[in-house]
Amino acid sequence: MLLTAGCADLKPPPPVARSSVAPPQTTAETVPPAAQPPAPANPSAPVAQSGGAAAEPAPAPATPSTSASAASRDSTAVNAPPSAPAAKSPPPANSPSPAPPAKATPPANSLPPAPPAKAPPSAKASPSAPPSQPPGKASAPPEAAKQNAPSLDLASLESRLKQTKAIGVLTKITISNQVDDLLSQFRAFYAGKLKTTLAELRRPYDLLVLKVLALLQDGDPALASALVASREAIWGILSDRTKFAAI
Amino acid sequence: MRTRLMGLAIAISMAAGVAGTSLAADDVSVKKDLFTVITLQGLPCGEVTGVTSKAENDHLVSCKDGNRYHVFLNAQGRVIVEKQ
Repeated sequence: MLLTAGCADLKPPPPVARSSVAPPQTTAETVPPAAQPPAPANPSAPVAQSGGAAAEPAPAPATPSTSASAASRDSTAVNAPPSAPAAKSPPPANSPSPAPPAKATPPANSLPPAPPAKAPPSAKASPSAPPSQPPGKASAPPEAAKQNAPSLDLASLESRLKQTKAIGVLTKITISNQVDDLLSQFRAFYAGKLKTTLAELRRPYDLLVLKVLALLQDGDPALASALVASREAIWGILSDRTKFAAI
Repeated sequence: MRTRLMGLAIAISMAAGVAGTSLAADDVSVKKDLFTVITLQGLPCGEVTGVTSKAENDHLVSCKDGNRYHVFLNAQGRVIVEKQ
């Protein structure tokens, strides 16, 4: 059994040998060689998949699909043995084992651009290898975002808001008035004249940002995205007494 | 002569059409601007149906829901919306 399991990875040799023996059954023959590994391999492979699904439920959101597929495979594997141990059990085992290695490399390479969306394929491919890669590559984008956040340019943002044609003149003045009102609230808060907390001041700030975003998102989506990107940085200034005083 | 007159008439009519569309666009943009200002103040106005401009930044606005507002820019540079 162990030998057959060890040979499970070495599928090329068996098919070639059998193909030479019986060419017409090449497709069906791929099953038998795999069928031998599956029996021993099934225990190991399903365990790895189920372990990945059970032990790594949180880390891999894509596991549902893999777990579902794994479950279907397990169910097929479970159902297969009783009905036809030799004939039906091999196919399911074969298809899973050969496919993952082939799919493993592409997803791993494609993971960096969109980790969450392509996580499922990687989880299907190889449960052990992909998990280590996504975190490392996923950590890069946030760092870049954090580096971009400090590079907030309020002046350019203000000038772009003034120049955009997505907002009418009176609306711009109204927004400016509301910004001034909010700033006066912060001044009063830091001066001790306003009895409130930063958490309570966050709500009018968020509302004002949402208002501006609602006005911009259709007419000037680029500026809207720039505002979204600067949202936390602006709050960082407002919520810091020293930074706010420097405005 | 006739062809020249025809060409001139066509040009004038096209210019008038362009001017009319631009005025209509301005009217639409003003209505949209006033509607946004009113709603930003938290006041109800289903849709701006009529605008009477008293000055550059002084308008009487009629809304579809029957509300009427006086929207103007005061001396302090603030946009004021007064319900009529």
